[in-house]
Amino acid sequence: MNLLRGFATTIKHVLEEPVTVEYPEQERPVRERFKGRHALKRYDNGLEKCIGCSLCAAACPADAIWVEAAENTDDERYSPGERYAKTYEINMLRCIFCGYCEDACPTEAIVLEHEYRLSFSDRRDAIYTKDRLLDPVPPGGQDTPQITEPGQFDRAIPDMEDPD
Amino acid sequence: MTVTITIDDRPYEVPAGATLVDAAKMHAITIPVFCYHPKMNPAGMCRMCLVELGSIAKNRDTGQPELDDNGQPVIRWFPKLQTACTQIVSDGLVVRTQTARVAEARRDILEFILTSHPLDCPICDKGGECPLQNLTMAYGPGESRFSYGDKMHLDKHVPLGELIFLDRERCIQCARCTRFCDEVVGDDVLAFHERGRSLQIVTISDPPFDTKFSGNTTDICPVGALTTADFRFGARPWELDEVPSICPHCPVGCNISASTRLDREAGGKKIIKRVMPRQNEQVNEIWICDKGRFGHHHSRAADRLQRPVIRRGDEFIEVDWQEAYKQIASRLKQADGDVGFLAGPNLSNEDLWELRKLAGLTGKSPRLGIWPATMTGGDVIAQVGVGVGTRLQDMGPESAILVIASDLDEEAPIWWLQVKQAADRGAVVIVANGRQTKLDRYASAVIQYAYGQAVEVLNSFAARARSRRKVARPLVESRVDGYDDLHEALKGTRVPHADAADALLGAENLVILAGGEGLALEDHAELMQAAANLLIITGHVGRANNGLVAVWPGANTQGALDLGFSPEVTADLLANPPAVWVIAGADPVAEDARAAETIAGAEFVVTSTQFLTATALQADVILPRQSFAEREGMFTNGMRRVQRFYAAQGPVGEALPDWTIYAQVGARLKGDKPRLSAGAVMRDITQHVARYAGMSYSRLAQVEPQFPNVGGSDLYYGGTAYANHGGLGVQWATDAEDESARLIVRPVELPDRPAAGDLIAVPVRLLYDRGVLFGPSTLMHRRVPAPYAGLNSQDAAPLGIADGDQITVSIGEHRFELTARVNGRAPVGTVLLPRQLGEFPVPAAPTVCVVHKIEE
Repeated sequence: MNLLRGFATTIKHVLEEPVTVEYPEQERPVRERFKGRHALKRYDNGLEKCIGCSLCAAACPADAIWVEAAENTDDERYSPGERYAKTYEINMLRCIFCGYCEDACPTEAIVLEHEYRLSFSDRRDAIYTKDRLLDPVPPGGQDTPQITEPGQFDRAIPDMEDPD
Repeated sequence: MTVTITIDDRPYEVPAGATLVDAAKMHAITIPVFCYHPKMNPAGMCRMCLVELGSIAKNRDTGQPELDDNGQPVIRWFPKLQTACTQIVSDGLVVRTQTARVAEARRDILEFILTSHPLDCPICDKGGECPLQNLTMAYGPGESRFSYGDKMHLDKHVPLGELIFLDRERCIQCARCTRFCDEVVGDDVLAFHERGRSLQIVTISDPPFDTKFSGNTTDICPVGALTTADFRFGARPWELDEVPSICPHCPVGCNISASTRLDREAGGKKIIKRVMPRQNEQVNEIWICDKGRFGHHHSRAADRLQRPVIRRGDEFIEVDWQEAYKQIASRLKQADGDVGFLAGPNLSNEDLWELRKLAGLTGKSPRLGIWPATMTGGDVIAQVGVGVGTRLQDMGPESAILVIASDLDEEAPIWWLQVKQAADRGAVVIVANGRQTKLDRYASAVIQYAYGQAVEVLNSFAARARSRRKVARPLVESRVDGYDDLHEALKGTRVPHADAADALLGAENLVILAGGEGLALEDHAELMQAAANLLIITGHVGRANNGLVAVWPGANTQGALDLGFSPEVTADLLANPPAVWVIAGADPVAEDARAAETIAGAEFVVTSTQFLTATALQADVILPRQSFAEREGMFTNGMRRVQRFYAAQGPVGEALPDWTIYAQVGARLKGDKPRLSAGAVMRDITQHVARYAGMSYSRLAQVEPQFPNVGGSDLYYGGTAYANHGGLGVQWATDAEDESARLIVRPVELPDRPAAGDLIAVPVRLLYDRGVLFGPSTLMHRRVPAPYAGLNSQDAAPLGIADGDQITVSIGEHRFELTARVNGRAPVGTVLLPRQLGEFPVPAAPTVCVVHKIEE
């Protein structure tokens, strides 16, 4: 009797819909709040959101982020305001995908997206440089550096609104 | 004198005359401030320091404290809160700093200050070491009741000159910067403009922000309103490693902190991102000049020499170190002692010691010269240098300072600042020079002598001391040799500036700062002795705030003198040139025409250098030396304080410190093992040089608490000068401080005066020049004048020369093309020639010259 009950369980599972998928032929969508590879975001006009403040690097518990800043001019503008990230690198071998960088970012420039296929054949490839992290220019926008009107983009932080 | 005050119900003994903020700070009680600064007078502008203030009520008849029913003294409180920064402590003062009223006041003040603050901390260079940030976190409101949309939008990028940027939105109008320029420096360059919400900082000088101390305003700015162009967005403060270092530019030896960070463009190596002052109340307090702050780029200039180079015929070939050592060693052996050694102005003591050791291996009496050989008198300093513990910043009405033959403002700006502040406090400051200098405006007396008569000024003061019975008899009788001769020689000496002499002689303390302007080397020896005579016979030796300071041409000229190098040997080397030259860290070929000729005729020249200088181009072996930033070592400053500096940045190419280079060459001469660490070299020095005996590296690295305490969590108080973790250094004692040592005076002969009618070219030193180490700091180039010659209108007019004309100045067979400046600065009969302004060698000593106008 016990034997039959055991087989019944087995047969039941054999007939069930399988939970595994045939990766990589098939891919399962990740959850909305999944934390995968970072992306550096742009504004609609193509300017980079990142202002090179290095707060992500300060927040990073794994010391995976390296930022070097430089100064924008109206003739060579990467981001609104005075400062932009000249160098922005994330070492994906160090990153633990905790998302603290996203929390720390004052301009919502860095976002952990859904990309999780990160494999490297060389340690150096694991260091994602700014050009690899930066989102493509949105339609209607312009690539950076841009030539802009004086006084048009003199604030680094987008207009703040009252909390209430 | 102390008084007893009560802070938060506990009694404290505090020095009388201190402000309440300072007094509280001494006992680690925090009263937050923005506008108050311990090095400046209180202004009471920001209202952040509001506290509850009261005093113990006293019965007017008996003078006794009134007691209440419980037997406790009655306290009369001010009805409203008072500013602690403007309150001078007095007996019976009662303060409350922690009550709800005080907390509310602080919260409200911060909310008010932040009404129009842009809150762009993420991109602000001050963010992370910002007093406004810190105090808001500690005392501020969690949120503002003001609407973001109502914030005033002002200019964020206003250049105040090319070195400093102003962000008008961030400015909280504390006036620390304007007060620093007015009170501390005395340069009328910054001011407030407009009123109320339109109030703004403007620069009112031309060129803008024209002061040598502008960088300090960024340190004391309690917000990110003033930032430097040099560091702009270079890194966030928390990412920087602070390395204690010593400025290599002048004899003051300012303590600096090199803020370093890895850098992608520098190949991932650590580089200096900025230079900040490091507090040493004995030396530079918390200030540094702009040359020190912005003149660090030589350490990572792209054209730094990376590998040893040897000359084969007309070709330069890169070789490895072993090959270079071998070449040098074999030539030194062949030379059979006919070798001359020259030590440059910023070789560390370790370098000098190994160079000396190497020299000792080449012959019995090695010839060790100092470059530049413009000043001498190491023996005089050893006798009567300023007493241990001397602080110009302590000198006041009871003191006198004589500055002679030096333009301190250009040669040692921080000493200039300290002398200027001493004058503000009431010290007698006498400036004697052949021309006007910037210090004149603060001097109690200005003596303008004809160049060549500097010694007469000192002799006349000594003669006045003799005739007015100001001679310190007990000292002279017990310890001084040669006084009788001097006494005789001074008889009948004219005293043209009797008032100045009397003011000087009436002071309790006397410091003489002696430069070398307008003096040939042998004349400078006389000047130093004349200064020593005056100090010794008036008894102003052997104690703090008394004695002689030489304004040396280099950061470590004092160290070179201490370790057996001498400028007289340099003169001898040029007169009787050796077959082989070893030139360490100096560029005599570019700086001196005679040296260039002599060295061109040498058989073999070895030089260690950071750059491919004119001397290097003449050399047979060129060795890349490390700059002060890549290595450790120690400098001895002009007040004989031996101070350590530490390795701040990664190595450049294969460059090595000089001491390693010369130790390795020495090892190949003698087959001995070279010393492998700077510490081992220092141990050797302490064992062989008596004056350095007690100065182990660990002793030099010792620090003790200093007031005002700056850095760390006290950013709001003193600014972003850094706390000293690298050591305060040790000052060696002079002979005068040793009761058993005898002091020597002798009559000083007056050198011959130049023939009348001739024009004399007088070399002068400028702070901002095109010297080897300062040239690579391109940010400063706008401050470096084009090569010029200063002429007096009386001399210029007959030659048809007007201000701005192109002229030639001929000295011997050399002709220089320069711009004439006829602006009333040059005295009659002289042509002022700034050194190191262009690629032409201005002679080190005054010489007869001929001036012509270039006709267009």
